[in-house]
Amino acid sequence: MAKAKSRAAARKIKDKWKAKSWYRVLAPALFDNVPVAETLAADKNLLLNRVTEVSLQDLTGDFRRSHVKLHFKIDKVEGSDAHTFFIGHNLTPDYVRRLVRRRRSRIDGVYDVTTRDGAIIRLKPFATTEKRLQSSQKHVIRSIMKDTSTSFAKERTLSEFIKDILDGNLGAEISKNCKKFYPLRKVEIYKSELLRRPTITIEEPKKKKKEEKVEEKQPEKKEEPVKEKPEASEKKPVKKTEEEPEKKETEEKPEEAAEEKKTVEDKTKNEPKKRTTKKKTTKTTKSKKEGK
Amino acid sequence: MGRWGIAHVYASFNNVIITITDLTGAETIARSSGGMVTKSAKDEGSPYSAMRVAQRVAEIAKEKGIDSVHIKVRGKGGTGSKSPGPGAQAAIRALVRAGLKVGRIEDATPIPHDGGRRKGGKRGRRV
Repeated sequence: MAKAKSRAAARKIKDKWKAKSWYRVLAPALFDNVPVAETLAADKNLLLNRVTEVSLQDLTGDFRRSHVKLHFKIDKVEGSDAHTFFIGHNLTPDYVRRLVRRRRSRIDGVYDVTTRDGAIIRLKPFATTEKRLQSSQKHVIRSIMKDTSTSFAKERTLSEFIKDILDGNLGAEISKNCKKFYPLRKVEIYKSELLRRPTITIEEPKKKKKEEKVEEKQPEKKEEPVKEKPEASEKKPVKKTEEEPEKKETEEKPEEAAEEKKTVEDKTKNEPKKRTTKKKTTKTTKSKKEGK
Repeated sequence: MGRWGIAHVYASFNNVIITITDLTGAETIARSSGGMVTKSAKDEGSPYSAMRVAQRVAEIAKEKGIDSVHIKVRGKGGTGSKSPGPGAQAAIRALVRAGLKVGRIEDATPIPHDGGRRKGGKRGRRV
């Protein structure tokens, strides 16, 4: 009996594996629907709400950005394709630890920010300095961080905003604004979380709406920022038409790139050493074992 | 057909547990632990058993069509030690040796932003 039972169990397990099929996980439209991962499930509905982690390097091919991890959540399955949306990003802890040193200040902030299309994002920027700051200076920097990130978000739709975060435009903007009070060494958004998705767009002729929106929004914002939310649904399609933020990138990148190169170099210096040490230790342990 | 997976390596001082999952971490593909390869409890966390655990896991994973993995190493974390145990390096090495391609290697030890009190009491552990 016992044998028969165990056999039956084994058969079941095998069948379970066979019953599952593979699905492609696609990146959000923001990242051109690139296939990002593969996952398997017995049922389509089980795929929903799964989260994949992708480094920016895999998406853009830029090895300097390998320390940024994006999180995508599956929300729709079509055939063998699973569609995702962006739910946040963070920097790898080892990268953050590299930036933070002794006798220098690290200034953190946590802000909930509303974008133009009504999405709420929790931003966690942090800045490092060359020297230790007084707490009053930190206060100033923190307030600037908050103001710039809220105003930055207000002008952009969610997808534009995400791109600006990932390209470092927001960090550059913060450091620019802080420069008058205290020059910052490095500003990064080390984490973001999507708290509310932009209110969903109903598919209607987009061209007409675009024109309306552009005219309406600007006066409204100045007077009553609260009113924006209900209209958010109409605002989403504007994304692609406004490409101003991209120009800023080119201006501000060179400094960053130089800094990042340094960090990359540090990495390469450090890594081989570690590896060699690792091998040695493992070898010694092995030889011990064999000796026994 | 090369598919990617994630190898979660949990190396504490007393055990090594390796789980290979798909990229979402929702589906387990292969799993093994120190107790499955050794008989004495004291050897569960040793580098040698970690190696055998890794070999076992790699074999199953390859059978199921996964030939490259990202590795997430993790120690006990929390109030415990923040660095992975003695089995971690051996496990990674064995995974590579077993023919799995390795992408990123990452430390995934849970580190408290400010957690509970570490065990041992006010005066520390008195041996």
